[in-house]
Amino acid sequence: MAIEHHDDHGHGLAHVAAPRVLLATGGTLLLLTLVTVVSSKIDFGGSSINLAIAMVIAVTKATLVVLFFMHLRYDRLFHSVVFVSAILAACLFVGFTLMDTGQYQHTNIWNPSAPPMAPIGPRPVNG
Amino acid sequence: MSTAHDAHADDHGHGHHGSPFIQHHYDDAQHQFDSGKFGIWIFLAQEVLFFSALFVAYILYRVHHGEIYSYAHKWLDVKYGAINTAVLIFSSLTAAWAVRAAQLNQKKLLVGCLATTIACACAFLCIKYIEYSHKYHEQILFGRYFDPCVSPNENPLITKSNDCAGKKTTIKWDYGAGKATEGCFEISALDLDPKEPGVQAECDVEEVHLAADGKTETSKKPITNICADKIGKGEEFEKNKYPCWKPSYQPAVCPDLTDGAKRAAGAAARPQVGILVDYGEGDHEHRGKDIAIKANCKKPAAPVAPDYFTEAQAQKPELGKALVAEHREEHSEHELLYAGPPPEHTNMFFTIYFAMTGLHGIHVLVGVFVFIWLLIRATKGHFTPDYFGPVDYAALYWHIVDLIWIFLFPLLYLIV
Repeated sequence: MAIEHHDDHGHGLAHVAAPRVLLATGGTLLLLTLVTVVSSKIDFGGSSINLAIAMVIAVTKATLVVLFFMHLRYDRLFHSVVFVSAILAACLFVGFTLMDTGQYQHTNIWNPSAPPMAPIGPRPVNG
Repeated sequence: MSTAHDAHADDHGHGHHGSPFIQHHYDDAQHQFDSGKFGIWIFLAQEVLFFSALFVAYILYRVHHGEIYSYAHKWLDVKYGAINTAVLIFSSLTAAWAVRAAQLNQKKLLVGCLATTIACACAFLCIKYIEYSHKYHEQILFGRYFDPCVSPNENPLITKSNDCAGKKTTIKWDYGAGKATEGCFEISALDLDPKEPGVQAECDVEEVHLAADGKTETSKKPITNICADKIGKGEEFEKNKYPCWKPSYQPAVCPDLTDGAKRAAGAAARPQVGILVDYGEGDHEHRGKDIAIKANCKKPAAPVAPDYFTEAQAQKPELGKALVAEHREEHSEHELLYAGPPPEHTNMFFTIYFAMTGLHGIHVLVGVFVFIWLLIRATKGHFTPDYFGPVDYAALYWHIVDLIWIFLFPLLYLIV
């Protein structure tokens, strides 16, 4: 295996994943799935704590997938830049929307049965 | 291992002419591979942004309406979600191994890995189909199609606007008014043998007898004369037409029997007694085969959406016992059969659920076709150590599909 690994760096088009790494990644992912299911049954003192634990596990799993299954650890740095940029853009997307959504809580939605008061001042003249 | 070495040696000898799939506008196999790989990473970045829109919808709605998520996720079966997660992770492993097999020119292993990946993807879709079809049958759907028959723990739900097969009740909850606006029990559902005699309603009742010729005869009766102990079975019931109800459970007209004495006169009347679950103040009608009862009732205390009804209350309403809000804890020792309405806008959870899992499912389906294409090419021996790009790119796509599910699973199924 070591020979293969060494071999690969010199030749071939891309990094060849070692079976040990693939199996370990897959096994860890399955284990973490079990952990996240079990942890969801336990009350850690608040749903937000449970959510945080579930998200930490999910991010760990996602990182394992990206680094080892998707070879990003051995891949060109530029591919990591592309991928991480997309994730950052998604985070901005979520963040700015969350910031903005609180701004309209008191906006009056037009209700025909309870129209707002007429504006003060002379009525506009048609024609 | 020796295969790998041979393949490499082979590759060196022939250069990029080793594979007939190396296009001429690339310098060499490496150039073609890197170009494709860059392209797929750009595509994956797009996929992340694509799904992020749905995650925004999810997060936004959860921030503002967390109660919906903590209620509605119970309709999802963690078992199916966990199995699907494991299936996808395993298929990701086989997809990654397929890339390795292609790189090392292990043709049989490549075909095996690709076939396993396809099988896992199909298994995922089958499990998804089981979940979706269950939700379709229970009307646990998106938007206005959300109209479930049962609560998450399989109790009949007091929120139906349509008929449920095998259910006796059709009760609709009006969130704006905070009360049930419709609800008809068939006459068999009435308790004809009440356990609690006595004056139990606070209504002024007017009785209208409907003759076959359309004539009506009205007689007013104060509620004090109408007692549960007067209600008998069968013929006796026809004579003593008044069920006794507390204000929260008043005699009234079923929605489809509302157009007055004209329609109901004589033979036109339905052989059914309807009971409207009505907490409201004012006039209510109760119509049987040849009788209409009008009741003017006092307004009771502010109605609360009940968590649970007992079987007796909902299916065979006990006379004299108000249909009141009772919490689950208080009911723990009783048999819980009828659940109160879910939080308002619970349908939004399933709108988001179906949008996210649906889009993800489409990706899985696309993956199946891509991997079938790869399998066909692999059996033809197209993939060699200097040309395995398609396998690598498809595997990367498959991993991102897995990655999205890794987030969807806890966010949809494992809400606490």
